[in-house]
Amino acid sequence: MQDQLSALLSKATVELPAVKTRPEFEAAKARYVGPHGDLTGCMKQMGAVPKEERPAVGRMINETKAALQAQFDAALARIADAELAAQIGPPIDVTLPSPDVGPGTFHPLTLVREEMCRILRKVGFTVADGPEVETEYYCFDALNTPPDHPARDEKDTFYFPASARFGNIAPRNPGERYLLRTHTSSVQIRTMLGGSPPIRIVSPGRVYRRDTTDATHSANFHQLECLYVDRNVTVRDLKALLDYIFASLLGPETRTRFRPHYFGYTEPSFEVDLSARHLPKVKKEWIEIGGCGIVDPTVFEAVGYDPEIWSGYAFGMGLERLAMLLYGIDDIRYFYQNDLHFLRQFAS
Amino acid sequence: MKISLNWLRDYVQLDASVDEICRAITFLGFEVEGVAATGAPPLDHVVVGEILTRAKHPNADKLSVCTVDIGAADGMKTIVCGAHNCDAGRRVLVALPGAVLPGDFQIKQSKIRGQLSDGMMCSPDEIGMGSDHSGLLLLEGNPALGAPASEVLPPGDTVFDLEITPNRPDCQSHLGIARELAAWFGVELRYPEIRFAGAAAESAGNDGVPEGRRDLLDSVQVDASEDCPLYTAHLLTGVKIGPSPAWMRERLAAVGLRPINNVVDVGNYVMLETGQPLHAFDARKLGGKRIVVRRAVDGETITTLDGKPRTLSSRMLVIADASRPVVIAGIMGSGDSGVDDDTTDLVLECAVFNRQSIRATSRKLALGSESSYRFERGVDSHGALEAAWRAIDLLVETAGGRPVGPVFKVGGDVPWEREIVVTHDYITERIGFDIPAEKMRAAFESLELIVTREEPTAHPARGPAWTVRIPSWRDDLDRPIDLVEEVLRLHGTEKIPATVVTSPGLVGDDDPVVLYNRRVTDYLVGHDFHECVNYTLRPAKESAAWAGPAAVAGLSLANPFVEDQSHLRSTLVGGLLESLRLNQSRGVAVSRLCETGRIFIERDGQNFECAAVAFLLAEPVGERAWRLREPADFYTAKHHVAALAAAAGIEFARQPMVAATGAEGWQEGHAAAAGGVAQGWLARCGLLNLGLLRQWGVQGRVYAGQFAILPEQLARGAGRRRFSDFSLFPAALRDLAVVVDAGTPAAEVRKTLARIARDAAGNAFALESLTVFDVYQGEGLPEGKKSLAFALVFRSADRTLTDEEINQTFQKIQDELTRTTAYQIRK
Repeated sequence: MQDQLSALLSKATVELPAVKTRPEFEAAKARYVGPHGDLTGCMKQMGAVPKEERPAVGRMINETKAALQAQFDAALARIADAELAAQIGPPIDVTLPSPDVGPGTFHPLTLVREEMCRILRKVGFTVADGPEVETEYYCFDALNTPPDHPARDEKDTFYFPASARFGNIAPRNPGERYLLRTHTSSVQIRTMLGGSPPIRIVSPGRVYRRDTTDATHSANFHQLECLYVDRNVTVRDLKALLDYIFASLLGPETRTRFRPHYFGYTEPSFEVDLSARHLPKVKKEWIEIGGCGIVDPTVFEAVGYDPEIWSGYAFGMGLERLAMLLYGIDDIRYFYQNDLHFLRQFAS
Repeated sequence: MKISLNWLRDYVQLDASVDEICRAITFLGFEVEGVAATGAPPLDHVVVGEILTRAKHPNADKLSVCTVDIGAADGMKTIVCGAHNCDAGRRVLVALPGAVLPGDFQIKQSKIRGQLSDGMMCSPDEIGMGSDHSGLLLLEGNPALGAPASEVLPPGDTVFDLEITPNRPDCQSHLGIARELAAWFGVELRYPEIRFAGAAAESAGNDGVPEGRRDLLDSVQVDASEDCPLYTAHLLTGVKIGPSPAWMRERLAAVGLRPINNVVDVGNYVMLETGQPLHAFDARKLGGKRIVVRRAVDGETITTLDGKPRTLSSRMLVIADASRPVVIAGIMGSGDSGVDDDTTDLVLECAVFNRQSIRATSRKLALGSESSYRFERGVDSHGALEAAWRAIDLLVETAGGRPVGPVFKVGGDVPWEREIVVTHDYITERIGFDIPAEKMRAAFESLELIVTREEPTAHPARGPAWTVRIPSWRDDLDRPIDLVEEVLRLHGTEKIPATVVTSPGLVGDDDPVVLYNRRVTDYLVGHDFHECVNYTLRPAKESAAWAGPAAVAGLSLANPFVEDQSHLRSTLVGGLLESLRLNQSRGVAVSRLCETGRIFIERDGQNFECAAVAFLLAEPVGERAWRLREPADFYTAKHHVAALAAAAGIEFARQPMVAATGAEGWQEGHAAAAGGVAQGWLARCGLLNLGLLRQWGVQGRVYAGQFAILPEQLARGAGRRRFSDFSLFPAALRDLAVVVDAGTPAAEVRKTLARIARDAAGNAFALESLTVFDVYQGEGLPEGKKSLAFALVFRSADRTLTDEEINQTFQKIQDELTRTTAYQIRK
């Protein structure tokens, strides 16, 4: 019996590693453990084994059975591996490009806007939004724009016919004309009317001017404005914000300077210059980047804030202009053509 | 506005360099848009010489050999010259060896065609005075021989081109800018001396006008005093028209005004000096010896100085004589009322007109002038008369003549008086850093803001309170806050000390629209889309194609600037298609574009501004790849639109898409829609209309999707999700295929089947899911029918389901389906 068992195990050790397919494997397996298999045959002989030898023979049979099973498992695993290998095919050329399209790209205006929003969020500003179609009140009246101010002129601002109706933009006063906002300052008014101080918002958004489209002008462009309303807000705080913004954006060596200027909604008002030596394609020492100032008391009165208690500052700039400076883009029209040659340059 | 440095120096001692002056102007708040130098640059070794003899060059036809006397010190020089006008007796400028002329032209002793030359005689362009190269610069007035060029050439000037902010009309003049510079540099401002003796004899009004030359002008009548708060007229007789003196012509020319004659030039000169426009009439030409300031009669005409006929309307202000308008007030006179070469008697108008009136008329007529520019921005009526007196002084000086009575003055009766009380503390609180009280006070006074009273405040440590008298030309200063800027300007805004941003915690979250846009852009870019930005304003044709003919009118601007940007966009897809076409036309293979932005959707005659996101899935025309991917189709678009809706809290499972019929821009039978303005959101996706694509020159099929939502709907937000318990017992699965009409939407069949299945399961267990896994049409099925195969998944919350109960339920479902619907169960 022992010889028989060793013989069949030796045979299996030779035979099973040569098996290549599942049917071959099943056939081979049957030759050992099938109804007429060799091992089955040995087991059938157990009845003839003398009683005192049975435990030893039984142990031998079990050991052989376990050893066979290990052979089967190994053979099966090898066959399964071979089958999978057949499925995945020969080694691939990893240097071929992916036939999938991509990657997608964010528009440079989005990249710059989001970077500005992140910088401002660190110092407590959250992003506000508002409608692009506005009424004269939110765009001009509440911002201390005199009735005869040129900005209101039909030459400079897009208006809608008196018959136009906008279902989700309510005029504040009867008979107000609808227009396309000329600055995102209207969002400041809406935010102040809808909330209470302290307020710290940044309002990026699309604005419209009735202007010839050329390398630096566009019928619509994007602005980004900041408004801060609190107690004891000073010119020095405003300067600190601008120093912080541009140092964050362009590196700690960046400086800003204020030049006195005039805007109806701030007093005092300043234009902001940026030290520009390290910017691409800029040859000047200083370049103008935006306007800012201390919120004019008239604006606070318009939204029902007491200017004796509340003070604030506002800052605004053009996003296209900023993106042009950052990336060295020399024509604003590129932003609106969406040529992939352009868009792909700013990926990641 | 152009400002001459030489002119400024009449009023203020400026020793600073041009760069320093530019910096001062900049930080005073006026943008320097340009700086131009005029006149000759500094010239060494260039002196006056007299040509004593001229002889033909022995070896050159066109050259002369001259002897030139350059004074006792240097004596005679022999100079070869090519100019035609190097005649003996002329005094000219001689560049001696060692001189370096503009363009780094070094003068040396040299031989010219064999003849020694000791220098060069100069033409104007050679010494940097313009471009005249036609001959030598001939000096007039016998200047001393050997005198350096700088002593005989007109001094150079520097002209600044400044942008004056609209709040500072007082700086639209040399005196205004000089006043600012005097304050900045801490030097005195010298006003021009007024000598006009008649100043004291000014009359008080129309009544009691002293008798004088009433034959020149008999009356001044102002009918529209709201548009003309002040009108004055002075008379001069015996003037002689001629050119104005060289110094005046030079100054006018330097700042870009063409010299005309002494009378016109004086008017312009005084305007540029004081900011007050003036106008001179030939007294002979005023019909009826009258001046009437009135509104024009509708249709009245005038031919202005520029030779153009202008038709006036009743909203325009004119200066008229007894019969006709002679000036469009404050803007431009008529060609036939001004001074001529033989004019002897003048009526000098010095008036102030309403800003709005001038602006409206100027805009309406598209006619502007130096005068209207100043009136539009505002002229100080309290300084007007001094300008008239100054002009009279200059007229007497340059055109002779004699001022005579009467003097006419109408209006201007409201006295100027304004004081602002401001404290040191108030200013410090607003600027956020310390400027000593005495420096603030000095800043005011340097600008002629006179502190009439200084008192201690309740907290003496916080500094004094000042009562500041505001001069009439500073109408922009009205409140204490306005004085803060004056202090800062004079202190220097460059000197605002740095500090750190103090930042409390966030007081809110980003706006829901912003969060949404960020989320969907991240999604789409993450799915390999290129984010685009297109114009909001679209051509009428495109607008009509998307919004439909009914809605397009409501999207139109009242005053478009260009024809192809006349309408609000009702979809982002139009712009994306334009981007696609541009890339295709440039041979760039592009398949996925996306955009977020505002669109305007019409409902019941009203537009609704919506936040929107859209994408295109185009065949990448022209792109070849070594392995082809399955192209995008309707269901790709639907998948993405569903994701965009889900980002806004809208589940398509609850609000399924339906076939879009009659939808503008989309291909019928291959596009779907869900929602509507009434629900506050609107989704569309599918194949774009093939005809439109062809019409717009887009190649290949394009699938698109757009999700739009009212911002206010987005702000409402979704409530917090709640956990629901789920079963860990095994599911029981059954498949069921039904044959239905080919046109029946799968969602309809599914809905019916789900209802029947739920009813059949009752409370015993749940129909967990019901999904279509096969759609078949063709062989084995009747014409016009299709088979939909559904996988039904049942599960119990508390036990393993038995085959028996599932089989019973499944049979019940089939029976009910057969009994209540026209669907056939496919065995």
